[in-house]
Amino acid sequence: MNKIIILLFMLTGFTDVEVKSDQIITRQGQTSFFSYTSVENIEAKNNQVLSIIDLSKHKIAVSMLMNAFVFKKSLMHEHFNESYIESDLYPKATFEGDIIDFDPLAPGTQIKIIKGDLTIHGITKEVEIKTTIENNNGNYLLTGDFEVAVKDFDIKIPPILAPNIAKTISITFRFEYQPYEK
Amino acid sequence: MNRKSTIKAFIFCLVLAAGLYLYFGFYNPSHDAIDKATTEVSVSSDELTSTYILNEKNANSIYRGKVIEVDGVVKKVSFLNNRNTVLLYGNDKYSNVLCDMQSNQIEKVKELKPGQKIRIKGVCKGFLKDAIVLNCMLINTQINE
Repeated sequence: MNKIIILLFMLTGFTDVEVKSDQIITRQGQTSFFSYTSVENIEAKNNQVLSIIDLSKHKIAVSMLMNAFVFKKSLMHEHFNESYIESDLYPKATFEGDIIDFDPLAPGTQIKIIKGDLTIHGITKEVEIKTTIENNNGNYLLTGDFEVAVKDFDIKIPPILAPNIAKTISITFRFEYQPYEK
Repeated sequence: MNRKSTIKAFIFCLVLAAGLYLYFGFYNPSHDAIDKATTEVSVSSDELTSTYILNEKNANSIYRGKVIEVDGVVKKVSFLNNRNTVLLYGNDKYSNVLCDMQSNQIEKVKELKPGQKIRIKGVCKGFLKDAIVLNCMLINTQINE
């Protein structure tokens, strides 16, 4: 009888742990973008990127506020928000995708492809992003980089500024997750 | 004489160009000098998050891009990614106010304890799962009894 009670306790205990550890979250993910041209280099960083991973479904969602990107020069911030990204109309960039062949239980580092829909400036494109996933005792860190073409997202650069902005923008990310307690 | 005027004109243009560059390159019309900026809205962390949860568009029209003062209770202090971040409790378990503190605030931020009641001033950027406030500074810190 006692054994059955212990077994029941263990089972409910394990179920509880499983439910809790299903989703992980970061509220302070870091995303940077770089535009390199011979005229000037532009860099901006957003340190308040939200991302949630469902470990059992191998799904990831990312959302960020475009006006929270910090630039070295305020004029760049202004151009970015008002002219290119139009952050009043399109305040967020989002990504939803699947981590292909992801094994959440494997310790250490695994490199996986994340395939999904990236939405910037109201335009959605399917992208594949090579991502390094580190699992350090259940603490997950995702890092990687990829490139996007400015023209794919209907971002209009005035001809006079065209030499200052790269046609392809490099994006890097670093997301350190914590358990998402419900 | 003619040559002198050309040099003068050239120097004038140079100074003007440097001035314009400094003005447009470094003058910051956003709210970097937060301590000097006038507060546009004062709100509690509870009200800020609940307004956003109720209607994000409406909340954006009140808070987004504004210099705000927020009263709240410290949930957590984080130094992730070399940033000084203070999380204030929101009106539900999942939504907080995420305050990215200015680098000159680090000594004050290090002394903050969870449960402490504080007031911060910063620029509201919008809402994801939390209300996001950047360029923050502490004003009037006090310790809960």
